[in-house]
Amino acid sequence: MTGIIIISLIAIVILFLGLYKLDKAIVPLAVAALLAAITSYALAWNTNIYYFNNMLFVDNFAILFSILTIATTILILLLSPGYFEKISSNVAEYVALILFSLVGVLCMVSYNNFSMLFIGIEIMSISMYIMAGIRKKDLASNEAALKYFLMGSFATGFLLFGIALVYGFTGSFNLETISTLVMESGGQAAALFVAGILFMIVGMSFKVSAAPFHFWAPDVYDGAPSLVTSYMSSVVKTASFAAFIRMFIVAFAGVIHIFTPTLWALAAITIIVGNVIALYQDTFKRMLAYSSISHAGYMLIAILALGPDSGNAIFYYAVAYSIASVSAFAILIKVKALKNSESFDAFNGLAKNNPKSALALTISMCSLAGIPLTAGFFGKFFIFTIAINQGFYWLVGLAILNAVVAFWYYFRVIIAMYMKSPSSDEKIEYGFSYKLVLWIAAIATLLFGLLPGILSGLL
Amino acid sequence: MNQSVFYLLSFMTVLFALLVVFSKNPIHSALYMVLTFFTITCHYVLLNAQFLAIVNFIVYMGAIMVLILFAMMFLNLGKDTEPQKPVLLKFAAVIAAGLLLVTIFAALKKTDGGQITGIASNNIGLVKELGKTLFRDFLLPFEIISILLLSAMVGAVLLAKRDTK
Repeated sequence: MTGIIIISLIAIVILFLGLYKLDKAIVPLAVAALLAAITSYALAWNTNIYYFNNMLFVDNFAILFSILTIATTILILLLSPGYFEKISSNVAEYVALILFSLVGVLCMVSYNNFSMLFIGIEIMSISMYIMAGIRKKDLASNEAALKYFLMGSFATGFLLFGIALVYGFTGSFNLETISTLVMESGGQAAALFVAGILFMIVGMSFKVSAAPFHFWAPDVYDGAPSLVTSYMSSVVKTASFAAFIRMFIVAFAGVIHIFTPTLWALAAITIIVGNVIALYQDTFKRMLAYSSISHAGYMLIAILALGPDSGNAIFYYAVAYSIASVSAFAILIKVKALKNSESFDAFNGLAKNNPKSALALTISMCSLAGIPLTAGFFGKFFIFTIAINQGFYWLVGLAILNAVVAFWYYFRVIIAMYMKSPSSDEKIEYGFSYKLVLWIAAIATLLFGLLPGILSGLL
Repeated sequence: MNQSVFYLLSFMTVLFALLVVFSKNPIHSALYMVLTFFTITCHYVLLNAQFLAIVNFIVYMGAIMVLILFAMMFLNLGKDTEPQKPVLLKFAAVIAAGLLLVTIFAALKKTDGGQITGIASNNIGLVKELGKTLFRDFLLPFEIISILLLSAMVGAVLLAKRDTK
């Protein structure tokens, strides 16, 4: 809760900094505030406090996901100096909007009441609708913002209708009250209640871009500025999944067996659609967009195989995925600035001129593909383990098959970097904070790939 | 008495809602929508939810309808500008919407009315009761919505402002 207050206040202060043209102070202040927020969350470890009539419940699950999303935001803000300035002079507003959306994210990961879930999702989404469209002269950016806004509001309608039906049946927005009622009914649920949960699943599936609710994702990820895309594909996705699984862990654990076929189909379709279409992409950015859809499919498996380890598995996966995608987008931004192209050909011969960035991108691609010794491997490993323990053999088989197929498009960029000759000798120039982010991302990916025990036992 | 008023209002709501969808002229649709909102406001009054009735009256019938009519006049929407969707898409949309209808209808029909939790007190919709709930039980959502409004406001200015660069 202290974290939410710190971030909200500093976001408003940053708006004022923009007013007085103190642009140099914006990012340092934001990073300092986020570090303070991380500290306040870390200090709350194991305390399990309820806030404001059980509106928020800051348990260890909420703390872990809060710290992860805040830390990812820090990495993204460290990439921002020099990036937003190129779009317009309203840098303070951009940073403030990102911080506002982070407030929504923090509500989403620690909600204990569906009204908080809804408000959290709205705060996060509205800031993102705007951020997607900040390149006002760019048609793709405009399209991204409008598409995201229209489809996002439609999906929110489904979520809200679902919450209303659940309320109509249980008479409460409180997750624990609903859970008690569900347990009393002994796994039997009225049709209206089931329909309500179904609508909520539809709304949340849209937010995590699971197929067949994924049609917005490629265009939005492609059209939005790359730094905003990296925020969407890491922080927004992590938060949406945390909210999604919290809903089932706390409130609907007793009736999840009713939704096994639904979630099974959602996961299978998402993995296949994301992977197969990613194979046919010509630009790196669009490939990352489709791969992020397939990653949503893998994470859905953890929700399907709901158990005591599910939260931990999804957390590990989100850590690996967030770090890898931030570092991939960081290098994409630099390559785009140099070559003015996002296609795979722009990466040709990157290893010759910029061996370190090629190595960083290779590590992040290996992590996304799930190769051993990187964090992504254990992310997939934990999810597949809990799914096998619950007997979802076919789904795990399908997922592993698709993970192998995914090597093809992740390695395309690695092959381009190492095997092809560069078109020019230009080197990429990195600032200090940029180098710092790439180093942190690479080291963290390898560290969590070698010593998974650091994070896996926390929940 | 109360029941016959309810049935009359429901009939009118459904009728006007259908007219919104089926009328050819978009301005007529918008005006039928005003009537739909009005009958829904009457429903709120029947349910003793005074605050909701007033808010629905002012916000939906007033502000939002004016906005819709304004947008229509600015964009000059007519028959020629209306995009034509392929038949296959229309077919798919009908099937999807039909399935949704079946789901909701079946869920409603299968659920025994007795299972649905009743409203605890008759005064629940009054402004006083609502204020008590809002400022006591739902204080945090109420406060945190200010962040939502602020970010929407910042965004509106950001997107609407002309760039000097």
